Amino acid sequence: MNTQPLKKNISSYIIQTHEEEIKRIAMELHEGVGQSLYSLFTGMQLIEKAIEQPAMKSYAGDMNQLLEKTIQEIRLLALELHPPSLTTLGLVSAMKSYINLYTSTYGIEVGVENLGVESQISDRDSITLFRVCQEALVNIARYADTTKASIIFKWKKSRLLIMIKDSGKGFEVETAMNKLSGLAAMSERMHLIGGKCIIYSKIDEGTSIEISLPLY
Amino acid sequence: MEFNGCNKSRKDHPYKQACEQVLEELNCDFVGLALQNSNGPDVSWHYAAGNRNDKYKRITVRYGKGIAGKVISTGRSMKIEDFPNNILGKALEYPIMLAENLSYAFAVPIQLKGVLKGVLLVGNRTNQPISESDQHTILDAAKKLEKELNNSI
Repeated sequence: MNTQPLKKNISSYIIQTHEEEIKRIAMELHEGVGQSLYSLFTGMQLIEKAIEQPAMKSYAGDMNQLLEKTIQEIRLLALELHPPSLTTLGLVSAMKSYINLYTSTYGIEVGVENLGVESQISDRDSITLFRVCQEALVNIARYADTTKASIIFKWKKSRLLIMIKDSGKGFEVETAMNKLSGLAAMSERMHLIGGKCIIYSKIDEGTSIEISLPLY
Repeated sequence: MEFNGCNKSRKDHPYKQACEQVLEELNCDFVGLALQNSNGPDVSWHYAAGNRNDKYKRITVRYGKGIAGKVISTGRSMKIEDFPNNILGKALEYPIMLAENLSYAFAVPIQLKGVLKGVLLVGNRTNQPISESDQHTILDAAKKLEKELNNSI
């Protein structure tokens, strides 16, 4: 009898637990800390209105602004950790929202195409696909040295295919797979949900990443 | 004065020219001017010289984040010497360094009406540092820009 757990099961468990923890922290920040700060903010606004001394009123106004900034920070941090739209609106909407943030952070324009009808996929598969796409885009920002990229979602009856392309400086896939743990992690994450991640790249000709997941 | 985008009006010309002048004087690779948006705490890159692409125009960093956000929130100049090695945080937190492929950067704060509102960044794509005397030139250029920006408000 084999009592050793499979390596695949261990990796899957670690990744899933990690994701659940991230989701919990994001929720706690948004619903807990964020809401408490909002209550403080509305209370401070009332106090500011009631204050008559100009110097104190201005001080309360500054504190209100700081609270507002902190609430915005908490909201963005929660959003960065775990996109809530992934569960409510689906993968494509969550990716579009992430891409808006990505373009305004790194200045890289990303064209999005959605072909076919989006099927419902499990939370676990959605978050894995989201993280793999996120890693691919972040690698473009860090290494590709390009101003444009594209992402295409192809929904078929039995399969979802996602293609992420850039025409950046490219790299040697085999060497990079051994060096960059992020690329290997993308393949590993897809493997754990029964999907595939294939990376094509040629120096000076850009990179293309194909992610596929069987749909049942 | 509105700082909500890359306005290409004639009014903007002096700032672009100031960046180009610093680039020429210091023989560096990149000079950029970032300003805090008037309708919120976020900071955007508005003018640049020596840029390799137009990514800077779309980059917006949060107050306290990135080089520009950090310089504005602390009010102190900041130096990065061998990007992406030996930096605080992740390389991804420095989008202008990634966009312009910079290895070295020196950024100084700019005040508008006594409030920290902008950043002048000078960078190199090699590890070539900016000398002490050149750092003074950058501080002078920032003071000059400060005056021009204050006069135009």
